[in-house]
Amino acid sequence: MVNHFNEAVQHFLAGRIWHREHIPFLTDLIDEQIKARFINVIQGVTTTKNFLNQSIYKCNRCENHAQFKFTTFHCAKCEGPCAYCRQCLKMGRVSSCTELLIWKGPPISFHKQHENHWQGKLTSLQKKASIELMESTNEKKSHLIYAVCGAGKTEILFDPIYELLQEGKRICVAAPRVDVILELEPRFKAAFPRTPIAALYGGATPKEEPAQLVLATTHQLYRFEGAFDAIFVDEADAFPYTADETLQQAVQKAAKPDAPIHFVTATPTGALIDRATRDQAISTIPRRFHGHPLPLPQYESLWRYIEQIHKGNLPRKLTEWIQKCIENKQPFLVFFHQIELMEKALPLIQQFEPRIEAVHAAHENRKEYVQALRNGEFKGLLTTTILERGITISNVQVAVVGAEQSIFTKSALIQIGGRVGRAKETPGGDFILFHHGITYAMDEAKREINQLNQTGGNL
Amino acid sequence: MKACLLCEAILPALPTWQALIGIDEQKIICESCSKSFERADSIDKTTDLSSVTSLYAYNEAMQSYLHQFKFLQDIALAAVFKKELQTILKHQKNIVPIPVHPEKRMTRTFGQVEALLDYAKIPYLNLLEKLDQTAMGEKTRQERLRTKPLFQLKPNIQIKHETYTLIDDIYTTGTTLNHAAKVLRKAGAKHVEAVTLIRA
Ligand SMILES: [Zn+2]
Ligand SMILES: [Zn+2]
Ligand SMILES: [Zn+2]
Repeated sequence: MVNHFNEAVQHFLAGRIWHREHIPFLTDLIDEQIKARFINVIQGVTTTKNFLNQSIYKCNRCENHAQFKFTTFHCAKCEGPCAYCRQCLKMGRVSSCTELLIWKGPPISFHKQHENHWQGKLTSLQKKASIELMESTNEKKSHLIYAVCGAGKTEILFDPIYELLQEGKRICVAAPRVDVILELEPRFKAAFPRTPIAALYGGATPKEEPAQLVLATTHQLYRFEGAFDAIFVDEADAFPYTADETLQQAVQKAAKPDAPIHFVTATPTGALIDRATRDQAISTIPRRFHGHPLPLPQYESLWRYIEQIHKGNLPRKLTEWIQKCIENKQPFLVFFHQIELMEKALPLIQQFEPRIEAVHAAHENRKEYVQALRNGEFKGLLTTTILERGITISNVQVAVVGAEQSIFTKSALIQIGGRVGRAKETPGGDFILFHHGITYAMDEAKREINQLNQTGGNL
Repeated sequence: MKACLLCEAILPALPTWQALIGIDEQKIICESCSKSFERADSIDKTTDLSSVTSLYAYNEAMQSYLHQFKFLQDIALAAVFKKELQTILKHQKNIVPIPVHPEKRMTRTFGQVEALLDYAKIPYLNLLEKLDQTAMGEKTRQERLRTKPLFQLKPNIQIKHETYTLIDDIYTTGTTLNHAAKVLRKAGAKHVEAVTLIRA
């Protein structure tokens, strides 16, 4: 009987909840560690009966219990009826006969020697928020950083994270969208060169080395349990986090029982603001790091644009605006509410300028196209709301076609406007809302930006 | 609430009267995912098969379908092409799925061709057995495929002098189907034809 734990297994498994078939160790070693009770084995999907004697399933990895997300079938492996979870399917299927492994041996002791190489200087507002965030962390209180687009919110996290790292704490920065994680990874790696950092998202290969600082899409947190001493959720209001309750549970589950879960966003929901205000755990930054105001939306009517584009006519005002951007050598983004309409408009625009492309969520070259816009290879991009946040393109001009469409909520419009004027050298720019009627959301967005500018200007 | 099995978009609920009198079944994939599959309806002929009919082209949508179905083991996807399979196999009677190796079947937890037929409620005959493909010295994989049989008849099976229809998920080089057809023809089948979901 073995009674010492294997360090490599501990490093891989601690804090995780892992599919047995996906574990990168030999079966004998895992068996031995299970026998010595360093690893707990649980069933992937458990079945209970309700009062009508119907089977009720629960996934023990993602905690999904919505019954329509389970499929039952006759399984050739366990030779009987077997149920699997479709909620977390893409991370490797978990079914009734799947074994999940949980580390029960001693926790990893992370080292306390770290270095903070970030050279920049915080504005006084950033500094204040950073200190308040640290205070809440010490009190194990969840904190909200409510900072306008372009306020420099990532830098606010550096000091509190550095302090936690030096206490040997394990930390996670999570975001609903993979684009945000990809943007954060090089920045954190540059700031903390001595810290083991892992970026986890769909398609990334897990490393065996235990990361003390984990950057992950919220989906990846399905695979963690009681792992982190603090979690920072960036862009917490983004889809699918707000729409998907199981993702919120996943974040809870990944944190240690009393660990604080912080939120960082430019467009918090009312409920989040109310809770943070009540707990006195909110820092507001109504001003961009360069001190210039946020660009206000400008309304332009574009009557019957859908019919016009479908008939093969690009509305005149839109044509003129795009031509103006091209003449002034300014990169531009045009947001559409629908892929179909965007793809109808694309060839019409390419007739006078071929160096324009369209991107959407399923688009594989999204990253390359954004890069091509940055370096001037492309003149402009047409996009769905997928590019509404996370990206920075210097001197970009922005227009929304069909700003009255319901997908353009107040938050979406504020985020879209937040792409404009982020650089110190070019703090202004166009933020045009082409519309077929003005909505409440448009007015609300305008009012909120105005209010933030006034607050920010009076500081 | 029902979501598209492929893209998770919420599916519109069917009006209850339609569901009640059964004119239309509740959809399992959304309109735009349905449209992303491309019909091939190709018919090939080989020395051992009087025809190979394939329903769909192997486009990007089909590749990701197959990945989710076989690699991610999402057996629920077996139902996606159920109507199309029912239509094409309406008049066939001796339907024989191409089997997977028992070990593969264990790790995947199901046989994909049988699953396609099961979900479409199409009766079939399990007549064939996949043989082990043990390494044979310097011979290349290609040579081995040409010489060594891939399938054998299950014990105590009687083949009638009738037409048999082999079913496979994907038709690529035809090696698999030809091997299976040979076995059935040698045992006395009059004709052997094949239907596959995909033409690669
Ligand atoms: Zn699950
Ligand atoms: Zn099973
Ligand atoms: Zn779909």
